[in-house]
Amino acid sequence: MTDIPVLYFLWVSAFLFATGLTILLLKKNTIFVLMGIELILNAANLNLVAFSKNDPSMQGLYLSLFVLVVGVCEMAIALAIILQVYRNYRAIDVDQFTSEF
Amino acid sequence: MSPLVIAFLVLALLTCGSALSLLWTKNLLHAALAMFLTMLGLAGLYVLAYADVLAVAHLLVYVGGVLILILFGIMLTNQTNQTNQTNQTDTASSKNHLMTRESSRLLPMSIGLSFFLGLFWLFTKGPWMNNLPVTGDSKLREVGLGLLTEYAFPFELAGVFLLIALIGATFVAKNHD
Repeated sequence: MTDIPVLYFLWVSAFLFATGLTILLLKKNTIFVLMGIELILNAANLNLVAFSKNDPSMQGLYLSLFVLVVGVCEMAIALAIILQVYRNYRAIDVDQFTSEF
Repeated sequence: MSPLVIAFLVLALLTCGSALSLLWTKNLLHAALAMFLTMLGLAGLYVLAYADVLAVAHLLVYVGGVLILILFGIMLTNQTNQTNQTNQTDTASSKNHLMTRESSRLLPMSIGLSFFLGLFWLFTKGPWMNNLPVTGDSKLREVGLGLLTEYAFPFELAGVFLLIALIGATFVAKNHD
């Protein structure tokens, strides 16, 4: 049975990371920015899984499970914060707030 | 080419293509759909990396949880365009007002492209070994045993963390007036 080389997974994860970074820099809507963060998180996850593919102790797999949990918590809290910001300022674009300091 | 590699290519194309469309679109609902397809492709890639446990958890969490959360976020923070509101006669035929703003495309895309090329070069040059022995079966039993023995403390900590995040999110999102 042939095995898929680790390098292919790394290419895909590099692409996902770069796309997430571009979304982070490009979009102004905060929900869009959150989606970019999720893409970056999943690119890191794919790297962990790809490297634990041939590892009998599977440490990367365990770490990626915990990364999944932390990512979900981050998403829930961030959306709650976005909701509260929208309730107070009627806008969720990142360039519509100016600091007072 | 073995069928495994063909399946990998299809899934990688799905993942990368829908990630690109997530980058390209300005409509939030289209972005949610693109993110759904990306997560689907990623789950398939996890299966191909022999991490089927993580793939199922990923599908449950992202498609079942995070996507619904994002859709609720889009609905609750929907800004209707005041300019289009006046001449809008029937809502059924008009477009939705979920178009978002973005900054100029040149600088972020060049930064992203250079990042991708740098990572690509770095990964291609890396000393990865491709001929390692394959442990090519489901690791469900090992993962379950490991989570309850060797990684029991982080596992319980993750449960407490989820509880804290749940309570915190409800507290932050509630109406504080």
